[in-house]
Amino acid sequence: MAATEGDQFLKQATGRNTRGLLRVIILCLIAGAAVSSRLFSVIRFESIIHEFDPWFNFRATKYLVQNGFYSFWDWFDDRTWHPLGRVTGGTLYPGLMVTSGVIYHLLRFLTLPVDIRNICVLLAPAFSGLTALATYLLTSEMVTSPSAGLLAAAFMGITPGYISRSVAGSYDNEAIAIFLLVFTFFLWIKAVKNGSVFWGALTALFYGYMVSAWGGYVFITNLLPLHAFVLICMGRYSPRLYVSYTSWYALGTLASMQIPFVGFLPIRSSEHMSALGVFGLLQIVAFVEFVRVQLPSKQFQTLLRALVVLIFVVSFGGLVLLTVTGVIAPWTGRFYSLWDTGYAKIHIPIIASVSEHQPTAWPAFFFDLSMMIWLFPAGVYMCFRSLTDEQVFIVIYAVLASYFAGVMVRLMLTLTPIVCVASAIAFSQILDTYLDVKTPKAESNENGTSDPAKVAASAILPDSLRSTRNPLVGIYSYASKLTVVGASAVYLMLFVLHCTWVTSNAYSSPSVVLASRLPDGSQHIIDDYREAYYWLRQNTADNAKIMSWWDYGYQIGGMADRPTLVDNNTWNNTHIATVGKAMSSREEVSYPIMRQHEVDYVLVVFGGLLGYSGDDINKFLWMVRIAEGIWPDEVKERNFFTPRGEYRVDDEATPTMRNSLMYKMSYYNYNSLFPAGQAQDRVRGSRLPAEGPQLSTIEEAFTSENWIIRIYKVKDLDNFGRDHQSAGAFDKGHKKKRASKRKGARVLRVE
Amino acid sequence: MRWFFSFLCAALLGLSSALSSSGSRLLVVLEDVAEKGSYGGFFGDLEARGFHLAFETPKSPSLALLKFGELAYDHLLLLPTKAKGLGPALTATQLLEFMKKEGNILLALSGDHGTPTAVQSLLLELDIHLPSDRNSLVVDHFNYDGESAKDKHDVVLVPFPKVVRTDVKDYFGGEGVIAVPRAVGQTLGNESPLLAPILRAPSTAYSYNPKDESEIVEDPFAVGAQLNLVSAMQAHNSARLTILGSAEMLQDAWFEAKASLNGKAITTANRDFVAKVSGWTFKELGVLKIGKFVHYLDEGVSKKVNTSSAIPENNPSIYRIKNDVTFQVPISEYVSTHWTPYTPPSGDNIQLEFSMLSPFHRLNLSPLSQTANATLFGTTFKTPDQHGIFNFRVDYKRPFLTNIDEKRQVTVRHFAHDEWPRSWQISGAWVWIAGIWVTVGAWVGFIALWLYSAPTEKVGGKKTQ
Repeated sequence: MAATEGDQFLKQATGRNTRGLLRVIILCLIAGAAVSSRLFSVIRFESIIHEFDPWFNFRATKYLVQNGFYSFWDWFDDRTWHPLGRVTGGTLYPGLMVTSGVIYHLLRFLTLPVDIRNICVLLAPAFSGLTALATYLLTSEMVTSPSAGLLAAAFMGITPGYISRSVAGSYDNEAIAIFLLVFTFFLWIKAVKNGSVFWGALTALFYGYMVSAWGGYVFITNLLPLHAFVLICMGRYSPRLYVSYTSWYALGTLASMQIPFVGFLPIRSSEHMSALGVFGLLQIVAFVEFVRVQLPSKQFQTLLRALVVLIFVVSFGGLVLLTVTGVIAPWTGRFYSLWDTGYAKIHIPIIASVSEHQPTAWPAFFFDLSMMIWLFPAGVYMCFRSLTDEQVFIVIYAVLASYFAGVMVRLMLTLTPIVCVASAIAFSQILDTYLDVKTPKAESNENGTSDPAKVAASAILPDSLRSTRNPLVGIYSYASKLTVVGASAVYLMLFVLHCTWVTSNAYSSPSVVLASRLPDGSQHIIDDYREAYYWLRQNTADNAKIMSWWDYGYQIGGMADRPTLVDNNTWNNTHIATVGKAMSSREEVSYPIMRQHEVDYVLVVFGGLLGYSGDDINKFLWMVRIAEGIWPDEVKERNFFTPRGEYRVDDEATPTMRNSLMYKMSYYNYNSLFPAGQAQDRVRGSRLPAEGPQLSTIEEAFTSENWIIRIYKVKDLDNFGRDHQSAGAFDKGHKKKRASKRKGARVLRVE
Repeated sequence: MRWFFSFLCAALLGLSSALSSSGSRLLVVLEDVAEKGSYGGFFGDLEARGFHLAFETPKSPSLALLKFGELAYDHLLLLPTKAKGLGPALTATQLLEFMKKEGNILLALSGDHGTPTAVQSLLLELDIHLPSDRNSLVVDHFNYDGESAKDKHDVVLVPFPKVVRTDVKDYFGGEGVIAVPRAVGQTLGNESPLLAPILRAPSTAYSYNPKDESEIVEDPFAVGAQLNLVSAMQAHNSARLTILGSAEMLQDAWFEAKASLNGKAITTANRDFVAKVSGWTFKELGVLKIGKFVHYLDEGVSKKVNTSSAIPENNPSIYRIKNDVTFQVPISEYVSTHWTPYTPPSGDNIQLEFSMLSPFHRLNLSPLSQTANATLFGTTFKTPDQHGIFNFRVDYKRPFLTNIDEKRQVTVRHFAHDEWPRSWQISGAWVWIAGIWVTVGAWVGFIALWLYSAPTEKVGGKKTQ
């Protein structure tokens, strides 16, 4: 587009500058579009942090800003994971918070005091502008056409696959990580092209930043070695590769080890072994190259064969030995679930219980990438045509990321950049071909084989592929040009429409606040979450411990500012299982657990009144499964299903289900809202038993407006040493019956 | 010293108004206000000890234990009534409600009248059991009063009780013999730690219904020491309930009565015993008070700062693992008129738990010093090698002493990044440090050698081997 507009200036002296200026303007506009399309949620709702994890990041950022970097680094958080606490400074990726903190202090230094919340809310859109820029740079390294880079930037700016994690308020690690990912790749390509230590060191620097920001850095850690490995296998070893890879690996590994959470993982865990292996391989290849120069070829062949076998055996044996002895950490569960999608469901329910770890459904690709999903293979194919070092990278990235995106929903995020790059390459090829105003000279076609165009073309393109043997000529007919260009323009339009629609409808809900439509079409805000969290904040003791399912831990910590038992940082499966057990057991079992953990309040989410399906009863089976993983004898998933295998909450619910604390807390007093016997659960669509559950060890403390959040207070021990059931019965007027007849031997009191 | 002043104020207040540690308003509920003459001596003693007595009958419309949800009286003395019901103001629920607000009850039963249903269900709720037939009495054919119960053997003479366990303080000991006429025996459930016997029947006593026609008692309600004449229950909030098997014990007639035990003439010591029982019930005895928890970091600079002043600086809310921590707490005991330093009975210790889910430390607190009103207990320990949210907890629950269960939450954090020893301080690391520097030195040396031995430009064309 820029190229075509700039065409008329081509021959003028100012053409180059004008095109540069235009490019800058276009990139700025793209960044502007990227930022503004992410502001739907702020405009529609308010400047608020979204969802779950961002609340923790926000809280950590506030801590950083208030207490300074060093106390953040050594932060021991005593308000989560009660009573274990969390060594937060050593178990998080600090990049995001530090970035916001730096921006905050920079703005203050510039005498622009901006609230830290607004910085956090708007960080993701701001970085999406930078991501667009980085995509432009990366794509420009791949192809000569400048329009491809601009197209890629535009695609990246507005594609829903990336917007899903970077709308305003979505203050998550991915917000800055995608920018770092793309930019690191750009620097790597630059380093490989130039064989320069400078670019390699820059790659390492941004790789270090990426490590500090997101656990997905492992993707880079494996992709770059794979790229190097493939290049070696293709016989494309060069000193450039050696220089860029070794400088990246040495510096990058050192940089990544500075993050406490990563620590010694780069030399101990299996995920990092490929980078180390390729590093070693490169040394060997370099050595072999050196030897080859020095030795006659016959001896060299023998030496090489012996060397290859020896090194392979030694390194493989060493790796196996170290893994078996436990020096190198075995693969983690999340990693296994990347290869076997059924693995997590069987072995680690806590990983499977997170919706974003589920395999991707195929419509999601069209939803998130729209027309790019079919342009993407074309782009990858075009990379095959010339297959330079950097285009090999595109191919590898495309293959790996496609696989991972198919396995896990959240990894769609890593696929998006390469899809944008590849489809921009394809699309710009179409546009470059069809937007050429000049008609190719007719005679060149008539003259047949020995025309200068073919000679020129074959000089540029390698003739290894059949498709490149015939020269590119151009399009003759204006009609076909117009058709294709018009169709492309329509596709681009549709793409923009689709992206905007998806962003506005699917990805701009804060999920803290729910929006619904009233019958007259006006918007109605359901604000139960915040209502309940503020109730906790204002009505409970400062260190009242709240027990809830882990989904809400970060929000309670962030909005209610109260200690929680478990939260979204699911590092301790046993502790989560303890909460699961308390929720899924009878009151008599739950109460000692809650006493032991000093629980003051229990919070449940109940959507039965409103028809809000993301409630705790629907998540309940995960609690049961996770608890069953630790206490298989005490909690059994089977008991929560009816004999016919149904999960029911109505009259036919199993006794285990109806006696579980979660069921009781959800439906306690619920039937008082309805006429007798008419109580209806609108999520499960079932009529509830006429008589509601009774609670004895806890009492209702708060229920939000739409009954979405219900908070219960845990009672103290009975003053007179009775159990709560009999104390409750006594208060209701059921007097104890005197045991009329003694059974068995008399029980004597012993002092 | 603030707690000392509060002690002083509390003591002064106590002197001026009442001698009980928890208030002086005492309600006496009896069948007929005119009946109070027979308890004159007991009431006189109570008034002399500073109680303000109010008398009501169960039927009185003005009778209410709670007023606007608060206690109308601090203590309640329930004397036996003839009626089977006690009226709407004295239901079992009301009585429990009264105790939930820390009201104390002295409940006197009588074999003559039968026990009201409200009291029966109250006791049943608390796991205290009475004989099922109305007229059962405690009878002893060996330790009876030869004067007044020569034939019926239903006035049991018992010595003052001894402590049942070595780690329990003796509040009811004394010299002499107590007459327990026509008592309703109680048995206590075995489960509840809140119950304790005060006066147990002699080993030869048993529960017997005199209206029973048969010669032999087939299955007595309880016999011997299982049968309690006076028993006590102390709720978690330290509200006290004492069941006195025989209301007649309180009457003037038995205060210093002449009696004969196995032919020996004696004088009963009921007045002394009853004073002790009522004193305990109405919280003149066995009341503990715990002062402010003081804990501080007992190492490095802070050690000097803290020990220099009487009260160390504010209790920190966060420690590190493996810190030396000192913990101190003053505990005082109320004795009749004032707060005194508490000394646990020999064989008993006050313990400090440092716990997260379960105790990591359970340490005996040793007495460090005494003030006029309190003993300062303390200990020093090292925080465990486990970070988390811990509690300093003093959980001291003993029979006849008010319950102490206090905890303070502190955080125990991990080592900060700059609190580890530096690498050169670890002798094991010297090999590796040496390795690093040797590598660096070798590299620099190699470069120097390389540069030194580089062929000069001029010779450039011909490379010498």
